[in-house]
Amino acid sequence: MRARALAAWLLALSLYSGISAARPVSYTGGLTLIEESDRQSTSVLVHFTPAHQWSIGLRGERNRDQDYALYTLHPTWLAKRWFGSNHQGNLYLHGGVGVATGVNGNPLGEDLAAHGGVMADWETRSLFASYRSRYLDAGHFGTQFAHAARAGFAPYIGKTGNLHTWLMLEIDHRPSERISLTATPLIRFFKGPVLLELGYTLSVNQPLINFTYRL
Amino acid sequence: MKCVFLISAITLGLAIAPGASSEDQSHNSEHPHQDVASGASSAATHGAHDHQSHDGHPMEHSGSATGQNGHAALTLTDEIDRALTEGGTPIVADVLGVVCDFCAIAMNKIFGSRPEVAAVYVDLDTKALSLVLSPGSRLSDAEIGELAVQAGYRIAGIRRDEAALGITL
Repeated sequence: MRARALAAWLLALSLYSGISAARPVSYTGGLTLIEESDRQSTSVLVHFTPAHQWSIGLRGERNRDQDYALYTLHPTWLAKRWFGSNHQGNLYLHGGVGVATGVNGNPLGEDLAAHGGVMADWETRSLFASYRSRYLDAGHFGTQFAHAARAGFAPYIGKTGNLHTWLMLEIDHRPSERISLTATPLIRFFKGPVLLELGYTLSVNQPLINFTYRL
Repeated sequence: MKCVFLISAITLGLAIAPGASSEDQSHNSEHPHQDVASGASSAATHGAHDHQSHDGHPMEHSGSATGQNGHAALTLTDEIDRALTEGGTPIVADVLGVVCDFCAIAMNKIFGSRPEVAAVYVDLDTKALSLVLSPGSRLSDAEIGELAVQAGYRIAGIRRDEAALGITL
């Protein structure tokens, strides 16, 4: 019952309104480091997976446009995983509670912050699609809703341990921003425990650099 | 808003994916008993082949990762080769949802941490988990299914001994 109440709360948050990490839940006992840098912010998340259905992490995020940083406790719940012999699909709910604080001379001080959202993905060894959303309430620093969808394909299928390469396109929508809709073509490299994504967000001329390491 | 309620209902009504079902388990148990009829030990069977490895990359048993019975067979790596030579018991499990290296890492970490497991490898091509148990050790189908759940995946079938090596008699 508590799990359902938490799910409802996270889902409700996501509906009001960056965005959270890829691969947010690992195997039982797994530790994962995720860095993400998009058109507006850079974040680092370290999460631990106590059970295969959920993870808990510490997340730091710096909003370069508005000069504030977020520090949150970041739980993620794997609500559903679809299995197939050639595919996998996932539905996650994620949230975070912590503080927002001004940086780089921002005089706004500090305030409580919370965020939540949903993530979903579906992939085979050659096709990928995902969606993710986040609503952020950063106190007197403001609120933001952001969501993004991705589609991609692998030009070749690598074996276990080989270098895997993906070509993807991400469409990102942030209604409160001056340029609300952007497109980011990106390339994903994936080898063993390391995932690296490099892209470039058109319209705002910002790089996308994402990195994941799974222990 | 309707969409919101639909998503809500779907999400909140979903159950967490369980491990291999009892139906799966009963199905799984058919293969080993049908296929394992040889008097030859797995190590002896394995020893009949000359495997070459390169930089730890897997070698396919009998030139193919699919056995004579049409199921995925044990994928040979240096570690698996060594464990078989030492008299270990081969097991192959078909895994659902294994599509990337993170999936393989999860399975390797979970199964590799068990004292019964002498060697482990996940082959993305065959979607098969190859295990070699230490001599005298045992892991039941249910235990293998539960370990796969801990890794975040689900087992669809398990074969042991000669059946795991892809040999049908």
